[in-house]
Amino acid sequence: MNICQGPLAWGTLVDYWAGDLPPAEADRVEEHLFGCAGCAEVAARVASVTETLRAVLPPAVSRARLDALRASGIRLRENVFSPGERRAVLFEHDADLLIHRLGGLDLTGADHVSLRIVVESTGEQLAELDAVPFERGEGAVLIACQRHFASLPADTRFELAIHASGIPSAVTRAEYTVIHQFPPA
Amino acid sequence: MHDATTAAGPAAACYGPLSMEAPDAELIRTIAGAGPGGPDAEAELCRRFAPRVYLYGRRHLRDEDRARDLVQAVLLAVLQAARAGRVAEPEHVDRFILGTCRNMASRVRATEARSAGSEALDVIESSAPWATWNEARADVGALLRCLAALDERSRQVVTLTFQDEYPADEIASRLTMSPGNVRVTRHRAVAALRRCLDTAGGPRKETAQ
Repeated sequence: MNICQGPLAWGTLVDYWAGDLPPAEADRVEEHLFGCAGCAEVAARVASVTETLRAVLPPAVSRARLDALRASGIRLRENVFSPGERRAVLFEHDADLLIHRLGGLDLTGADHVSLRIVVESTGEQLAELDAVPFERGEGAVLIACQRHFASLPADTRFELAIHASGIPSAVTRAEYTVIHQFPPA
Repeated sequence: MHDATTAAGPAAACYGPLSMEAPDAELIRTIAGAGPGGPDAEAELCRRFAPRVYLYGRRHLRDEDRARDLVQAVLLAVLQAARAGRVAEPEHVDRFILGTCRNMASRVRATEARSAGSEALDVIESSAPWATWNEARADVGALLRCLAALDERSRQVVTLTFQDEYPADEIASRLTMSPGNVRVTRHRAVAALRRCLDTAGGPRKETAQ
């Protein structure tokens, strides 16, 4: 085995996977990784985080992004929910992505919409986002449910807070509960 | 080669005990010699370099399947070169493999690798099982939980970097931070996510960073 000439710093490896190193430095990192199994192993541990982040769509997406996904061949199935509704949805085998259309909202005067995702049965918070994409004309927020979310609890409550323009205290809230069902592979 | 269950961070991983002591150059010479040790040397060479080629593929091709195709294509070319004695500098076989990666990355195709019809493919498949590379993919549910546990600023930096693909300068401008501060925040956030994933029951415990 070859001897490591000096381990690469964690930060250098993060910048490498972020694509944020100058080309010459990225080349030097690659040359080191090919000559050093230990540093390559650490690089793999960084990559397991960064590349999984890249593979995950954000929980809420815009209609434009959905159109682009559909155009790229992704098979979408859209479920429409009204405020307060609680319903089960099945992630069929012939779908790549489920879209929960959280509708029935008046977004005409909205400045931004925040989203909190909670496990209904336990109250565990899965995510809290200050500002998510929303469709003013549709009066909806679009949630992208991905197949690998099967590892999350099935009962998910989406809590929206609509913040009005120019009136910080004016907040309208809506909740939707989705029971996810994933058929066996 | 390092045992994946006991490696302990960059320094220990680089200098730690080896399960097979032969230098890379010795493996190349053994393969070129076509002696009885050839198959074992080929398997060991693949075991050492397949993960590195795979990472290169993930970084440059941004696709898991294409990265695997690259591994097959590159290792096939390297084994064929080694058997024919065409690796001019065995001491620098790592550079030879990286050069092969760079040449092939832009034209890798599944059919190119799999239609080669070489027994070398069996060596590659048997000595570098894909399942051992699951390190390159974290549990998504656990990662989302870990992401939710980050402070808001760290979460914004991570999201803007790896989901929106903004460079540090752009993120700095958006979040009113210095680019250096963005990088430090990002380094710490990825380390925190890695630790969180390991604590949440990942395949291995955290190593020193």
